[in-house]
Order: sequence, then structure tokens, then C-alpha cells
Amino acid sequence: MSTILKVEALRVAIGALTPLSSVSFSLEKGETLGLVGESGSGKSLTAMAIMGLLPLIGGRITGGSVVFDGSDLTALPEPAYRKLRGGRIGLITQNPMTSLDPLKKVGSQIDVVARLHLGLDKSAARNRTVELLGELRIPEPASIYHLYPHQLSGGMKQRIVIAMALAADPDLLIADEPTTALDVTVQAQIIRLLSDLIRDRGLSMVLITHDMSVVAQACDKVVVMYAGTAVEYGTVAAIFDDPRHPYTKALIGCIPRGLAGAQRLKGIEGTVPSVAHYPQGCRFHPRCPRAEAICAAVSPPFIASRDGAAACHFAGAVG
Amino acid sequence: MNALAQSGVGRAFTTPLGLFSGGYILILLVVALTAPWITPFDVTIQDLANSNAAPGWPHLMGTDEFGRDVLSRVMYGARTSLSVSATAIGFSMIVGMALGAAAGYFGGLFERAVMTVVDLTWSFPDILIALMLVAIIGPGLSSTMFAIAVAYLAQFTRLTRAQIVQLKRETFIEATINLGATPAHILSRHLLPNAVAPVIVVGMLAIGDGIILEATLGFFGLGAQPPTPSWGAMMSSGTAQLFLAPWVIIFPGLVVAVTVIAINLFGDALIRALDIRERLRGT
Amino acid sequence: MSEFLEVSRLSKRYTSKRGLFGAARSMYAVNDVSFRMTKGRVVGVVGESGCGKSTLARLILRLIEPSSGAVRFDGLDLLKQRPREMRRLRARMQMVFQDPYSAIDPRYTVADAVMEPFQIQGVRLSSAARSDMISGLLTMVGLNPQTASSYPHQLSGGQKQRIGIARALALKPALLVLDEPTASLDVSIQAQIVGLLERLQEEMGLTYLFISHDLALVKYFCDEVLVMYLGRVVEALPNTDAPARHPYTRTLLDSTFQPDPKLRRRIQPLAGEVPSPFDLGPGCAFAARCPRASERCRVETPLLAASGGGHAVACHHPD
Ligand SMILES: Nc1ncnc2c1ncn2[C@@H]1O[C@H](COP(=O)(O)OP(=O)(O)O)[C@@H](O)[C@H]1O
Ligand SMILES: Nc1ncnc2c1ncn2[C@@H]1O[C@H](COP(=O)(O)OP(=O)(O)O)[C@@H](O)[C@H]1O
Ligand code: SF4
Ligand SMILES: [Mg+2]
Ligand SMILES: [Mg+2]
Repeated sequence: MSTILKVEALRVAIGALTPLSSVSFSLEKGETLGLVGESGSGKSLTAMAIMGLLPLIGGRITGGSVVFDGSDLTALPEPAYRKLRGGRIGLITQNPMTSLDPLKKVGSQIDVVARLHLGLDKSAARNRTVELLGELRIPEPASIYHLYPHQLSGGMKQRIVIAMALAADPDLLIADEPTTALDVTVQAQIIRLLSDLIRDRGLSMVLITHDMSVVAQACDKVVVMYAGTAVEYGTVAAIFDDPRHPYTKALIGCIPRGLAGAQRLKGIEGTVPSVAHYPQGCRFHPRCPRAEAICAAVSPPFIASRDGAAACHFAGAVG
Repeated sequence: MNALAQSGVGRAFTTPLGLFSGGYILILLVVALTAPWITPFDVTIQDLANSNAAPGWPHLMGTDEFGRDVLSRVMYGARTSLSVSATAIGFSMIVGMALGAAAGYFGGLFERAVMTVVDLTWSFPDILIALMLVAIIGPGLSSTMFAIAVAYLAQFTRLTRAQIVQLKRETFIEATINLGATPAHILSRHLLPNAVAPVIVVGMLAIGDGIILEATLGFFGLGAQPPTPSWGAMMSSGTAQLFLAPWVIIFPGLVVAVTVIAINLFGDALIRALDIRERLRGT
Repeated sequence: MSEFLEVSRLSKRYTSKRGLFGAARSMYAVNDVSFRMTKGRVVGVVGESGCGKSTLARLILRLIEPSSGAVRFDGLDLLKQRPREMRRLRARMQMVFQDPYSAIDPRYTVADAVMEPFQIQGVRLSSAARSDMISGLLTMVGLNPQTASSYPHQLSGGQKQRIGIARALALKPALLVLDEPTASLDVSIQAQIVGLLERLQEEMGLTYLFISHDLALVKYFCDEVLVMYLGRVVEALPNTDAPARHPYTRTLLDSTFQPDPKLRRRIQPLAGEVPSPFDLGPGCAFAARCPRASERCRVETPLLAASGGGHAVACHHPD
């Protein structure tokens, strides 16, 4: 197996603030990695850093590296990045309308990507688009091609965005909460679609979500993020079997299990702090049920465990 | 006062234009309120020996054909013009808000009836309405006020109605209805307080327009009757010796212009300070 | 004991014109819905967005008038109540709304908002009783009494929803309708709010009608479940252990993920999308997507029929 994406000690600054630091993970070919955490934990910033989109919000990478297929992206000039984005890396956003132009037919919006990145001519691009829509199980692709975004349902729009992300035959997909705004049945269909694509095309994917049940369903590995930093990473099996970080445990505890007699739902008291108010020591300590005096003072190091590691002073302890 | 500060009105004064225009309006208000006590000369006493004196000492703006001090009359005119316009607009605003709120809240046939009548007044030019009213009630300040009030009624009604229709869809209105609130409670505690800011700003801008309308009617001799000083009436009487004593017409004209510009500038500053540009669109 | 809430054959029809000269089209947002609730129970209503859940809630509370049908609350025919009586009655049947962000007047402080129910219902309180009441209500929903002087824009979504709950419970209602109270909140906050609702139900002996699009959450939280599809109740489950018999309910179940990688679903592809609610023909509304659909399903509308033990299904080929 070869590594397609390796992020190491990533650090992002916006103005004088450092909303993101110490994010590391690696993604092998054919794998799906989940980035999970409550809103405000830094998931989208991580995605933007990988995609070279930080300048859009006045941010920049101030430390660490992002290595995609062997080459470091942190120093990549914008023209080269433009080739990569939408070319070898496809992006799927939560709100399809941030990716779709309301005034253009959806088909031609997909064509453009293939023409730009693959150099196809007009008719070749159109044939390819119709084929792609069919592969995404969109009924009557030839007629959907001619519709405008507002004529489609939310789930269908999201499929169109997936088609755009796939149009240039990428190696890596970055999906930022692709199903958060959708109904459960539609979410299930989209997740199945993405899983099939990963398997059939040998793609790799970074799947961003706040929902641990989506991670359990669709990912091979996980990075749990909190307040702009990674707090635990590991294989999905290990993380759910034996979560080491109290935040990971709490996040899992937030999801109702559809089984009778399940344990009571436990929320996480308080809210994610904003960049300006990241606490000293362990950033989770004000909300942590396990916190002791050391947590407020010393930032915990990563302690390795089975198939992963957690940044908690007590990650090594049993229980 | 607390509510005023919190609403952001104070922020209108933070830009140079807002400060100057707001400051000018405040000074003008003080002059209008205290005119009977602070004018350097009596505004009605004639001094024929001193008629048509050029600006200088002690008549800073000169005197008119009867030897009356122009500055004093401009100051006193502020009292007439502002109070006529403000009273008329205030009245129009209250009626317009009541009509608009009721139309927006209850909807249906009542709304259609109100809006048809109001739109009818909207489609006539202001000055035409004013002339019609003068023809009916006769010239004087009360018909001027009535004319101004009718001329702006449509604007207030429409703006209020649009606000109410929009606010009615907010969850907090449904939640309040669900607590068992009466329409009176919903309107007086939630809808009107949330709708009032843009209406007040439009009202303030309308006072500027009202001043012009008052001056126009006064100029044609249909407004304030002599010897009451009003800016329009002063300009009107000044036309007779336009070349002999141009100051008689220039100073009131200048004050009308500056006042209207100041009101508009301050209105803009208010719109920005209260962040209500979006809510004023399309009405 | 008479039924606490009895909904009989309730329908709400909307008509709309397409364009200036278009023919009027009509749809049933709620179509022939009947059910009963006993005091102290938690009944869940589940279905995808647009299936009529909010419309049903508004009809039950008579916030909108039905096209046909009746609602009896505690022995009273709600539709026969005159405005004054209805306003009085509202104190006993309250609702928490989906969107906490616009559920409080932006000009009201938290204290004003939670005291408004008393003002509306003409309950006079001395100023000492008033401040006791404010801090009592805020404490009850897990807020610091110091938030009393805050304005809504200073609060988080979760805090606002707590205020919404405090307002709804201020007058000690018997029935609380919860219309997706956590749909716009983070999972961690959702779990907090659900925990709060559980506690309050136990303490105050409340009766809940809990609306959600999340079957896992409904199964976790409710005693009985109504499943809605395009305005109709397609299945009524007497308890959450009862096996689903309607193919749509099964689809919903299969679309719900578990926070456990060992319980991954095999997601079955679902044909097409939810059809347009306008001018639905005869037959089962789910037929076009249903794996079991027969010719009969396409011509004859299945009615909700009791199948023993309080279970009811509207399907020609139930499990
Ligand atoms: N443009 C920005 N300017 C300043 N801070 C930002 C900006 N975008 C995000 N942040 C901050 O960075 C943190 C992480 O945000 P984000 O990556 O959007 O979180 P998530 O996607 O996990 O919800 C948050 O505290 C947020 O306030
Ligand atoms: N006031 C209305 N006018 C016209 N159609 C409406 C109105 N309210 C709701 N609907 C329609 O009724 C259906 C059900 O809506 P709703 O009850 O809000 O569904 P849910 O709450 O399950 O998402 C939707 O198709 C919606 O568009
Ligand atoms: S380091 Fe302390 S505060 Fe942080 S997660 Fe571990 S126990 Fe909790
Ligand atoms: Mg995000
Ligand atoms: Mg709804």
C-alpha cells in the first residue's frame, strides 16, 4: 500500500490567531479517513489547508507539511494548485450551492471540469458527463444534464457535486460534511455511492463529519479533532472498541443506539471554545469528565495505543 | 435612553457626515424651540426707516421691505417650518403604521381595501393633493399639515405593512401566538417594536420633504399667512424685490436647502447605523 | 380514562397555482391522520423532510385550521373553541420549535422571554416572585440564572433552545409538542437537550409528541412511534421493540447508522426519490420506490389497519 496523503504537524494562522495546530495523519490509497469533531473543531480548516484554499479566508500554513503523492503542497504556487484542485483532488462541500452555478445547466458545469483538466473537446466531455451521471445512479442522465440546479432535489444536487468532483478522474476526494443537510435515506444512498466509488475506482477519501455513526459506517481510519487540534487517531475498529481520549468517548456517547435498553444519552456539557479562547493545557479540560489539576496546566502529549494514539494525560491508563 | 443607545442611534453620529448633519439638526431644533426668546429682534415689529437694509451689523442677514430682521425671521421660520412638517409627518406616521400593521397582520379583504385606497393617494403628485386640499379647506397652516400628512401616508402604510408581513413569518411570533397571546399583544409587543426603526428613519427623511412642501405652499401664499414667519412665505414676499434686496429670498432659501440636505445625510447615517438598508428595499 | 389527545381523520390541503394561467394544483400536507395519546407517554413522529410533520404539529395545536378532521384535547373539541377559550387553553399545550435562532424576539432579554407566558396569561407576580421564577426556570433547563439579562444574539443555539423549553414549560403545560428541537444543533448539544427533556418528563410527568427525522433518536426517546410518508401515517408502532412491518419503515431503519463499526449496514439502493406531493394519483405513495410493490399497490391506496397489539400498518404486503 502506498501513501497518497500525509499531513504532518499542520499549523494554520489567520491574522494573529492560530486556529489550527498539531494535526497529523496519513491516508493510504483506497482508504477512507474520517475527520470528526463538533463544529468549530477545525475540520474545514484542515480541508482548506490541504486544498490550498486558505488565502481565500486570509489564512496561511505556518508550520508542518502536506504531502500529496510524494510532493509537498505547502510551497506549491497557485497555478500548479489550480491544476491539482478539481484535477487530482476533488472537493465535495456540505452545501451543493457553494459549488454549483444557479444560472448554468448542471451538465455543462460538469463538462467544464473535464475539459479544463483532461483537455477533452465539447462532445467528448458531454458523453463522459452523461456516462458519469449514469454511474452515479442518476436516473435519465441525458435529461438531467439539461436541468438547472433549482430544478433538482437536495440529494440530486449533491450527486451533481460528486460528479463534478469525479469529472477529472481524481485520486483523492475531500468530502466536507457531504450529507449533513440531507435526509437519512438520502444520506445512506450518498454514503453507499461514495463507498462504492472508493472501492471500484481505487480512490482515497477524507470524509469530514460530526457524526460518529457515519464514521463507523464509512471510514477505515479516524482523526478526532477538538478546538483546532487532533486529540486522537487510529483505526475505526480500535477507536470504537477502546476510545482512549475522553472526547472521543463523549462523541460516541452522543449518538443514540437504535437498540432497546441502550444506555442513556450523554451530551458534552459546555461548547467548543473559539480560537481566541482556546484554554491552556489540554484544550478539552473545561468540559472533560476526567480532568485533574495537571490537565489545566500541561498540554498532554500523544500516548500510543493499539493502532493509534491519544493526546490525554490518562490515555495510557486502563478504563 | 438606554433603549436608544442600544438601538444604535448613537452610532449615526460617529461618521463626520453624520456628526455634522446631526449636529446641525440638533442646533436647528434648539433654535426652533427657543426662537421667541433668542431672536435678536422682534419678528413682527416693522421698522420702515430700516427697510431693505443690506446684511451687516446689527442685521446680520439684512432686513426686508418692512425693516424686519431677516435672521430673526429665519430663526422663527424654523419654528414654523419644522413644527408644521414634523407634526404632519408624525401624524401621518402614526396613522400609516396603524393602517399598515392592521393590513399586514389581518390580511384578507381588509388589507386589499386599505392598500387600494393608500395606493390611490400614492399615485397623485404630492403638490396636486396639497392644492386639492387647499381648495377644499382654504389656505393656512392646517391645510398645509393635512396635505403633507396625506402625501406621506402611503409610504408609511406600505413600509409598515411590508415589515409586518415579513416579521409575521418569524418563529417567535408563532411561539407567542401559541402562548395564547391576543393580536393586540402580538402587534404592540413584538411586531410594531421590531418594525418601527425603518419607519422612523423614513419619517425623518420625510420631514425634509415636508419642509420643501411647506415652503412651496408658503411661496404660493397657500401656507402660513402673514405675519407668521415661515421660510416659504418669506421667499414669497422676497420675490417682489429680488434685485433690490436679494438677501430676503437668499437666506431662507439657503436654510431650506441646507436643512433638507442635512436631514437626508443624517437619514443615511441612521440607515447605516441601524443596519436597516435591506429592510427599506422594495418599498 | 378518556384519551388525553385524540386526533381523528385530520387533513390539511394546500392549493397552488403554477404561473399566471396555470391550473391550480393541490396537495395534502397532512392526509387523513388519526391517532390517540395517553397521558404521560412519549409519542414520536418520524419521517423525511416535507412529509408533513410540522403541519401536523400546527394542526394539533390549532396554529393553523385543518381542511377536515378533529382534535380532542383532554375531552375538549379544539376546533369548537372560541378564540378567547382557545387562548386560555394554549397554556396547557405548548410547543418547542425547530429553529431556536428565530424563536425569541431579538429585542427581548432572556428574563422578558421566560416571563412573557405569565404576562400573556394574565398571571400577576410580585417582583420577588418574578425573580424567583426567572432563576427557577433557568435553573430547571440547566442555564445559569445570570443569563437572565442576556439578549438572544449573545447566546448559542443550544442555550436558545433551552430558553425555548423554559418558555414552553413556564405555565406547566400537560402536553408538549417538540418539533425537531435538536435538528439544527451539534450532536453533542442534541444529546444535552435530549437528556434535559428526559429529565423534565420524569420530573413533571409531561406528555410529549416528539417530532424528528432521525429514527434512531425517536426509537431511543419514545414509547410509541408514528411513521409518516407524504402526509400519511404509514405505520404506528406500539413500542420501540415492535418489528417494523412497513417497507418504508424498514428503509428508514436500514438507512440509520449505528455508532459501531461492527454493526455496519449493507445499504440497499433505493429507487428514485420522494415523488412530488402534488396531485398524487391513487395507490400507495411509496409504490414507485418499494421493493414489494405489486399491481394492486399502484391502483389501491392502502389504509392504516390494526394488526394486533396496537400495531397498525398501511401496506398491502406488510412484513
Ligand atoms: N475565516 C476565519 N477567520 C477566523 N477564524 C476562523 C475562520 N474560519 C474558521 N475559523 C475558526 O477556526 C476554528 C475551526 O473552524 P472550522 O475549521 O470551520 O471548524 P469545523 O469545520 O470543524 O466546524 C473555529 O474556531 C473558527 O472560529
Ligand atoms: N403554508 C403552506 N403552504 C403551502 N404548502 C405548505 C405550507 N406549509 C407546508 N407546506 C407543504 O406541506 C408539506 C409538508 O410540510 P411540513 O409539514 O413542513 O413537513 P416537515 O415538517 O415534515 O418537513 C411540504 O411539501 C410543504 O411544502
Ligand atoms: S488530558 Fe485531562 S482534560 Fe484532557 S482529555 Fe485527558 S483527562 Fe480530559
Ligand atoms: Mg466545517
Ligand atoms: Mg418540519
